[in-house]
Amino acid sequence: MTATQITEIAGFFDEELAPIVRRMADRPRAQDADDGDGREVRAMVWEGLVGLDALGAPDTVRLAELLGSVLYQGPLLDTLTARELVPGDVLGQEPVALAVTDEPWRERDGAISARCSFVGFAAEVEHFLVSGGGPGPALVRAGHPSITMRRYEEAGRGEAYEVEFAGTPVAAWAGSATEWPAALAGARVRQAAYLVGLAQAALDHAVEHARTRRQFGQPIGRFQGVAFRLSELSMHIDATRLLVHDPGATAHAAACLAAASDLARTVTTRTMQVNGAAGMRSDNDAQLYYRRAAYESVRLGTPHRLRRESWDGRR
Amino acid sequence: MMPAFTPEQDGFREEVCKLLCEDAVRAEIAQSRRLPYGEESGLLEVHRRLGKLGWLAINWPERYGGSGATIVEKAILTEEMIRHGVPDNVHSLGIDIVGNAIHLFGTEEQKQRFLPGLARAEITANVLFSEPDVGSDLASLATRAEPDGDHWRLHGRKIYNMKAQHSDFALCAARTSTGPVSFAGITLFLVPLRSMGVLIEPVWNLSEERFDLVTLDGIRVGPEDVLGEVDDGWQVLGKVLPLERTGLDHSAKAERTLAALREHAPPGCEERLVELETRVRAARLLAWRCVANLHEGRPDEVHSATAKWYTSETAKEVAVAAVELLGPRALLDARDPAAIAEGVFDAGFREAPGLTLAQGSSEIMLFFVATSKLGLPS
Repeated sequence: MTATQITEIAGFFDEELAPIVRRMADRPRAQDADDGDGREVRAMVWEGLVGLDALGAPDTVRLAELLGSVLYQGPLLDTLTARELVPGDVLGQEPVALAVTDEPWRERDGAISARCSFVGFAAEVEHFLVSGGGPGPALVRAGHPSITMRRYEEAGRGEAYEVEFAGTPVAAWAGSATEWPAALAGARVRQAAYLVGLAQAALDHAVEHARTRRQFGQPIGRFQGVAFRLSELSMHIDATRLLVHDPGATAHAAACLAAASDLARTVTTRTMQVNGAAGMRSDNDAQLYYRRAAYESVRLGTPHRLRRESWDGRR
Repeated sequence: MMPAFTPEQDGFREEVCKLLCEDAVRAEIAQSRRLPYGEESGLLEVHRRLGKLGWLAINWPERYGGSGATIVEKAILTEEMIRHGVPDNVHSLGIDIVGNAIHLFGTEEQKQRFLPGLARAEITANVLFSEPDVGSDLASLATRAEPDGDHWRLHGRKIYNMKAQHSDFALCAARTSTGPVSFAGITLFLVPLRSMGVLIEPVWNLSEERFDLVTLDGIRVGPEDVLGEVDDGWQVLGKVLPLERTGLDHSAKAERTLAALREHAPPGCEERLVELETRVRAARLLAWRCVANLHEGRPDEVHSATAKWYTSETAKEVAVAAVELLGPRALLDARDPAAIAEGVFDAGFREAPGLTLAQGSSEIMLFFVATSKLGLPS
């Protein structure tokens, strides 16, 4: 991705759109809560990003960090991963969801049966890329009657679904089983970059609060206990950012993602502390960063599992 | 430092556990965590049962609805209620903070008026301290009590308090006079909440329980509603707040989350679990040291601050570690069919940030230890 493209996409998420994007997939907890205008906004944002050629970007790691910084939630990162395995002319410009499962799944007569947990935006993608635990990444068309899904009620309050494929026809085999690890490594580095962007946004939110919130006759950012903690987080973000943008990052993708995962949870937890009780309010973005970091930081594997995988991969 | 429990105290713990493990009690607790969104429990039947037995405020005299036992028995009850998942805010606000404040500083008339009802779980109470611009810096509060004959009328807004919608009355801090010293001139009032002149509005937030914005619009209170002396509320606050800072509630919450985490953590997490277990054990020891101090009649504010900081930070760490170790499943709401451990991890994760903010933030505890224990300049 060229610097110009990044600038254009950053410009797309301007001061007016960015607050809407941050909450476009945040569905309040409520019995049978509908999605309000969220789905419509997400479709509009998707069109905007595709129009800016986000799907053809050469530097997707920078793009991922930008997406994290505006707390973008949608199928773009999954779609970028799918496009590493499936030719663009098959997918066109349609969104894809990764449906990864640890459970064994099977293929029979060109159809697959699998149950996948925490699939993002399952209700609004055109394809699923089913992978992990089975014969190889399989691309299936969404909307087939053999596919059932339900949205989770979870703290992230996003669009995460349990999806069951019961004899769903395979549209295309997406590369060989050996190509999946490389695609997964790319996805993990992008996820790490997304978390770095998210952490930076949360820190910016905390810094702004520390500048303006006054207690004991002065801005709380003047207290060293607050200021030094924020400085420390800033330095950790800086270090992790270099890690994920390093050209050799994919060779250490699992470890990189584990580091970014820890970073995002730490920064957002401390952002909550700096913001005080106000940060817990539903209309305050601090709690939004805290909840989204928790979900996004374990979406592609827990840090514990990622580090184990990284270590085992050296043997 | 664990007290040496007497056989009677061990027996009391067993009795409490037996009651809390009854099917009906467990069902009520589980149900209280699956209420429709936007609803939350107030006093439960289990509170009333404990109240009838004289256990809810067991350390208060019998004439006030207690059993005349010690703070150790009260701590045992609190610890077991939290370990068994009984929603604790309504209890801690009504008994541990407001009730204790009345017990220690109230007039005999106030004790008779409020304590038996609180102890029997017939009424409940909350606190109205924080304001939109006043959090840790409580001395700068702006709610004012304007003289009205020999009474006052209260004007102001209180926020980030909980359970006001269920409470019969509140302990409210308001300014009765102004002067060069900000913490002078604050008075504590016992304010009826179900009255004209009090507007309660929900403030939805991250946790399972709503905050309330309470607007005091000229509600009239009299001398009989003043807790302690007029203009001297700061002294009362200074003595009451450390009493609730044993950290026992936080250490019990950490224990509860950790017990579920041990059950559900995948293989290979053992070292992290041992690390957390050790912290939780230390947290419990710090909490019980504070209880022992109170029992011996020599409360120690440095010990209280240490316990509050360590136990709340530990409970928060365990809650966040559950997400780290279990992945997205830890975030599933108790109402989701795939939820694990009845949603204890999700509830813990959403409650966690508040633990190091409420009852004196971590920063206030650190400052206190820096200046009072280490002797650093303030």
